[in-house]
Amino acid sequence: MDTGSTKTARAPQNRGWWARLGRDMLRDRWLYLLLLPGIVFFIIFKYVPMYDLRIAFMEYNMFKPEASQWVGWEQFTSLFAKPAFLKVMKNTVVISLWKMLFGFPLPIILALMMNEMRSLKFKKAAQTLLYLPYFISWVILSGIIIDFLDPTSGIVTNLIRAVTGESIQVMTNRAAFVPMLVVTDLYKGVGWGTIVYFAALSGVDPQLYEAAAIDGAKKFKQLLHVTLPAIMPTIIVMLILSCNNILNAGFDQIFMLYSETVYEVADVIDTYVYRIGIQKSSYSFSTAAGMFKSVIALALIVSVNWAAKKSGNEGVW
Amino acid sequence: MTMTKKKSNKIQTSLGEKVFTVFNYIFFTVLCLIMVYPFWHVAMESLSSTSAALRGGVFLYPKGFTLGTYQSVFKNPNIFSGFRTSILVTVTGSLAGTLLTAMTAYPLSKSRLRGGKVMMMLVLFTMIFSAGMIPNFLLIKNLGIYDTRWALILPGLISAYNCVLMKNFFYSIPESLEESAKIDGANDVQVFFRIVLPLSKATIATIILFNAVGYWNDYMSTVLYVQALDKWSLQAVLRQMLTNTQQAMEQAGVDVLAQSNTNAVTIKAASIVVTTLPILVVYPFVQKYFVKGVMIGGVKG
Repeated sequence: MDTGSTKTARAPQNRGWWARLGRDMLRDRWLYLLLLPGIVFFIIFKYVPMYDLRIAFMEYNMFKPEASQWVGWEQFTSLFAKPAFLKVMKNTVVISLWKMLFGFPLPIILALMMNEMRSLKFKKAAQTLLYLPYFISWVILSGIIIDFLDPTSGIVTNLIRAVTGESIQVMTNRAAFVPMLVVTDLYKGVGWGTIVYFAALSGVDPQLYEAAAIDGAKKFKQLLHVTLPAIMPTIIVMLILSCNNILNAGFDQIFMLYSETVYEVADVIDTYVYRIGIQKSSYSFSTAAGMFKSVIALALIVSVNWAAKKSGNEGVW
Repeated sequence: MTMTKKKSNKIQTSLGEKVFTVFNYIFFTVLCLIMVYPFWHVAMESLSSTSAALRGGVFLYPKGFTLGTYQSVFKNPNIFSGFRTSILVTVTGSLAGTLLTAMTAYPLSKSRLRGGKVMMMLVLFTMIFSAGMIPNFLLIKNLGIYDTRWALILPGLISAYNCVLMKNFFYSIPESLEESAKIDGANDVQVFFRIVLPLSKATIATIILFNAVGYWNDYMSTVLYVQALDKWSLQAVLRQMLTNTQQAMEQAGVDVLAQSNTNAVTIKAASIVVTTLPILVVYPFVQKYFVKGVMIGGVKG
């Protein structure tokens, strides 16, 4: 290494940079070796499929892929000409927005409420139980949901009947299906959603509360002027991240629960892509639909992150 | 809060706080019951007689206790092959995936690494953009792993999120520990395996568990990439039992309708219990690692 540095001192500026680069890379060769399998993984499993997005601009020939014809934007124009796709877009956004409306603020409120509890034992036990549904798959949860909503023996069906006097078949009722998605999504995610806010709350300096108390701030004022500002960066980051999900709407959940009777309100982009692509083997068309989704999601998160930074908050990157 | 009330403020707020505290505890008790009851309900239903299950209602205990349903469910060999596949996929996938994640994250945590930033961006970009279902499906076909268990394992090995989490953790390890090993002549690979990994046991455990949950709960990979029934994951087998109970049981040689002690409702409930129980048994012991994972990683990349 010492001989290397004396050489660079004499060499012209540009060669010095290359020499240093080579020397650094040689020094870190073992690190590159460690990194290699991971990078290969990302290239094969993430970037090769991105390259394959080109079939959205082709008429893909599944028997002879090399014979596929380029068709330009044709898949996209026929996509937007389809009323079915516009409906699916609308459903996706509607479902996600309903989910966000409840799923975003409720974990914050729960975390703040739980933060006021003195009994550590109760808190720990409650957290353990609240996180539980997050770790249960949608296959299992859908089984339970369908059991609970069974038109005759379902416990929730009976409860609804007892309260309203009406028998609603939620799974096939267009008005009730989306609320059911929202509620069951909350059931699975609301507890786990609190955890990032606990992480943020645990970082708040207790002296701030003492100082606020000395200044005469009551509990509620402390909440407004100490706690909320402290967790605001976390709230913003979570908000930005949830924007990336606006076109996701929850594929696994909907896929397990929906049926043809509720396609009208419950068919979302991902389920549409699955049915058209995998089941009907219309690869190019459904790739175009999926790609449209991914690009919009990317644009959303980039612009929201930019806006957050512009307004003086911390972004995600 | 107004001037006239100022004198009694102290008592008022403490009363308000007391009411809030009581409400708070009641609220969370009820919420916890709501979280747990569905699992209890299904478990009790699966142990009940068919007629009681058909009548429905609240199940706080088994009504007309029977184990007959479980006898029928376990006659389905797909349950066992599902367990075998899911255990195999979960164990290999989460162990290999975590090792690969750590190997990827460690070099990226070194700011001196040339090109490290670019490669980090390569990783991060996959967090906000993905090619989607069809290109992934074509990849599996082109790799020649369609209809094999590899298709269930390989695509989920490394996630960008876990990579970031590990990178942040490695970054917080004091450099001096590694330096001393280097002075003794160890190279980066040796330092990584002998010094860094042993220091990261808790984080490694967290990532293994996150991966394990992902693999165990994975259903779509089977739907998309695997046809042969004997290679289906447990989730896919359960899904078949739930949507097509009769057919699934007939394939297994059990005529649901002919059996007096079983019907679709209890069969479904018992299948749910069989697939959920492993998680419920392990969960209380490992829960703290999940929490730790979120705490160390933060949300920020």
